[in-house]
Amino acid sequence: MTIRVDPERNEISALKQIGPWRGKKVLEIGCGEGRLTLRLARLGPELIQAIDPSVDLIRSAQKNLPERLAKHVHYQVGSAEDLKYPSNTFDILVFSWVL
Amino acid sequence: MVHALREAHRVLKPGGLLLDLRPGAVHRRVGIEVDGQYEQLTVMNEKLNDDYAANRAVTQVIQQGFFKPISRIQFNCDRTMTLKDLEVWLEDFPSDRQAAKERLVQIVTNAYKSRKGKKKIVAKGPLVLKVLRKEENA
Repeated sequence: MTIRVDPERNEISALKQIGPWRGKKVLEIGCGEGRLTLRLARLGPELIQAIDPSVDLIRSAQKNLPERLAKHVHYQVGSAEDLKYPSNTFDILVFSWVL
Repeated sequence: MVHALREAHRVLKPGGLLLDLRPGAVHRRVGIEVDGQYEQLTVMNEKLNDDYAANRAVTQVIQQGFFKPISRIQFNCDRTMTLKDLEVWLEDFPSDRQAAKERLVQIVTNAYKSRKGKKKIVAKGPLVLKVLRKEENA
């Protein structure tokens, strides 16, 4: 399938406007195959923890993750209703097309 | 949905930001781009109930003091695809409007086959980014 989402990259431009991402700890909920995750990674956060309930999509995201980003981007199967992280962990949380 | 937002509140640091990024609650426009020129063909009639429910959930956690709204940005988000991809993409929408989907595919297919040049199908709709800040006094 060759559907291109947001070829003009307006989405990442809007996300840049919210403030600095460099050094932040980010949780992305609903990462799917990691389309937005990889764009966010270029903004320089210290860590992106990206979750999705679909095992297949997480596998695909892991496969598409460039090695140079592997230290900063972690994919995991997970649900927004039951986040397996301690309280007060993240600077930024992104609901990525999931609410 | 409200439970997920409360979980989000729990894992955010004090003053952390919640970004709610999703398509706006409006019907998408579907058209064809030929040699860089866009022509609208039809408007989708997809259900927007889930979008309204999500908006209500966000409003609720704001009213309960979990978050404070900081900003709202709306911008265009296109999807470009081939004719074959259109049907796959439409599967993402509720299936009780099969006749409407078939009509849409027919309209787009007819236009696609009748145009000459470099062409692609374009679905247009706004994305909305809401920025909320975690509040401590909930």
